[in-house]
Amino acid sequence: MSGSLSQGTGTGVCMDRNDREILAALEGGLPLIPEPFGEIGRPLGLTGEEVLERIRTLQKDGIIRKFRARINQRKLGITANALVAWDCNGKPAGDTGRLLASFPCVTHCYERKPVPGRWDYSLYTVHHGYSRNEVKEEVRRLARRAGLSRYLILFSTDEFKRVPNVRIRENGRES
Amino acid sequence: MTLPFQTDDLDLRILDALQQDIPLVPRPWEAVADRLGIPEHVLLERLETLSGEGILRGISPIIESRPLGIAAATLVALPVPEERMREVAGVVSGYPEVSHNFRRDHRYSLWFTLSAGDEKMLQKLLQEILERTGFSRDEILDLPTIQKIKIDVRFPLAGDRNGGLHGQE
Repeated sequence: MSGSLSQGTGTGVCMDRNDREILAALEGGLPLIPEPFGEIGRPLGLTGEEVLERIRTLQKDGIIRKFRARINQRKLGITANALVAWDCNGKPAGDTGRLLASFPCVTHCYERKPVPGRWDYSLYTVHHGYSRNEVKEEVRRLARRAGLSRYLILFSTDEFKRVPNVRIRENGRES
Repeated sequence: MTLPFQTDDLDLRILDALQQDIPLVPRPWEAVADRLGIPEHVLLERLETLSGEGILRGISPIIESRPLGIAAATLVALPVPEERMREVAGVVSGYPEVSHNFRRDHRYSLWFTLSAGDEKMLQKLLQEILERTGFSRDEILDLPTIQKIKIDVRFPLAGDRNGGLHGQE
């Protein structure tokens, strides 16, 4: 343990080598066989139940946030992707952000430090849809509900890189 | 370009079910199959196909960055001219600290997320990227994360949105 996690979540990081190995193995996806956790544990000398217990603990400690399918929505026709930058215009960004985040169509919502005078947008949401018009209509509805009039819709035209934020194999920090 | 794979209603129901957390039991596929009212082997065959088609990227844990010591993050936008896009995007994507790198319809044309252990390391990385790509601080946007309010990437697929599935713009 490095001990340098001044901003940890309180429980600190309690992962050992086996935990890291399990997470690294799962990055390739849970095997599509009847007893996938047993398969993950085999090279580590762990039973499926032991692997599951470790996963539950990692979830309880807040290290695993979710455990679900990642899909390539573009292959299903969901090709429009927009980042929307919102100017809160004096409203408290946190409250406004939580309001925007409460809509199921918003997949990401972040508060960011603006560049005053040059770029006054402090909230950022991400939207997906089958067409640009669908997304535009959705953003207009949201703007009305949140009482915001200054926003910028930034549609993506090329996706050069999209990977999970944390990858144990590529950038996991070894202790 | 090949024609898009035609999903049927069962595929979409399966994808919807798997966008919720999977059951942490020794036979998770059996549990999901039961919920969908189909045999386990049918579910596994469908998952193989969806995975082979590139629709299903994988069923994996999403790991929180902060407990692993990644405490600083920012969104950066660069005004990259058309003729330099490929080159600059390539440099940026080469960094493991960059997880998303998109071209967007704006004068600020390249948008990427950068994360690091702390603020100092983050700024050092950004400085290096700017030097390698030839942009100065005052022509880019550096928008540090103050708080993550929501990350919940799910696409409801089955049901009333079905009609738009294969529609093009």
